Amino acid sequence: MRKKTFWIAYIFLLLVQLIISNYFRFTPYIMLSILPVMVLCISTRLDTLWTMLIAFATGMTVDLLSEGLLGLNALALVPVAFFRNPIIQLIFGKEIFARKEDFTLRSSGFAQVGLALLLAQALFLVLYIWADGAGMRPFSFNLYRFLASLGAGFLLSLLTLNVLVTDSRE
Amino acid sequence: MKQRRLLSRLFNFAVFIALEIAALQMLTHNAALQRVWVARSAHLFMGKVWGASQGVRSYFSLSETNRELSRENFLLMQELELARESLRDAKTESQDSLSRPGFSMVAAEVVKISRNKQHNYLILNRGYKDGVQEKSGIITPKGVVGIVDAVSENHAYAFSFQNSDISISARLGSEGGSGLLVWDGVRSNGAILKEIPLQYRYQKGDTVYTSGHSLLFPPDIPLGVAGESKVVNGATNEIAITLFQDFSAIRYVSIVHNNSFDEIEQFER
Repeated sequence: MRKKTFWIAYIFLLLVQLIISNYFRFTPYIMLSILPVMVLCISTRLDTLWTMLIAFATGMTVDLLSEGLLGLNALALVPVAFFRNPIIQLIFGKEIFARKEDFTLRSSGFAQVGLALLLAQALFLVLYIWADGAGMRPFSFNLYRFLASLGAGFLLSLLTLNVLVTDSRE
Repeated sequence: MKQRRLLSRLFNFAVFIALEIAALQMLTHNAALQRVWVARSAHLFMGKVWGASQGVRSYFSLSETNRELSRENFLLMQELELARESLRDAKTESQDSLSRPGFSMVAAEVVKISRNKQHNYLILNRGYKDGVQEKSGIITPKGVVGIVDAVSENHAYAFSFQNSDISISARLGSEGGSGLLVWDGVRSNGAILKEIPLQYRYQKGDTVYTSGHSLLFPPDIPLGVAGESKVVNGATNEIAITLFQDFSAIRYVSIVHNNSFDEIEQFER
């Protein structure tokens, strides 16, 4: 049941991302994306291979249906899926895999979850901004864009997290 | 179990690379800027890889290059010595004197060298099997290195010039006075030219050569340049010399032997 809810929420958030990508472009310095948190929250019971394929499909959907470059979101999102397990293991420990549990804000705490979100968001943004700039934009622009997008994306991801992950005690 | 996990990781990695390549391919097909960027990055990467591999290859062939250079150097030194000899012959013939005997040469590699003692030595990879004899000089194109003291079948033991017991006969300038050149005992390229009579004028920067008065070394090998001097006992000059030869970088040398050494030495007995 919970599994089904997750995927419904996932598709809903994908639509939200499409709206963000098409209509919420206020400044070139901020690139809003909730895709990294969506991939990070995919159940740990699903192995890396499937997570990567889902991430690729998600990225491609956003690329196809928004005013962007085809392949750009997919390029940046697949590494988040590939490094998802190492990030979770690094921050939450191996036990989370042994217990076959998913992290939540309540069970793992804000600091740990926040750090995981930051890492995933940073990895995604580094690749996205690097590939989007194609070596043509100055480093300072890329840096400001990264920092502004990381801050904005982090706040948006925290909101998204509550939609995707619900504590079993709730 | 472990192997299966490893295989699964490798498979995941392969899929990861494949997906990234697919995404990059789509990106380059749809955006000109990204196409140029990827092509430029690929060229840069290939350039770096080829450059690095070429560097590694060059590094590993350095030893062989050194050996070849040393061989070439040795042949050139031999030729130079022959030229000098014929020049001397021409001079002495014109002066109605007897011609000077020649030197035989053997190329050698330094197997071991000591540099931080007062009595330093060298061991060379040539012995009597190669025609090396005791009381032979050791030279490089940059000067005198030492004197062979003992010879085994395949190796020669030599006193280094950086030895307080060694002195060689040297001449200041092309026509200047001769004296004894000894290591200053401090610097790796420092020496002192002793017993230069006061009447001989010289200038700082004058070149010091082997005099040819010793039976061990051919004449006119450049050894170093003259520096500061001081008068000793009011009778002779003592001049500081900076040697051309850096003893910390010696690897290939030539062993020279005076073919008339025994004959001349018999007169001295």
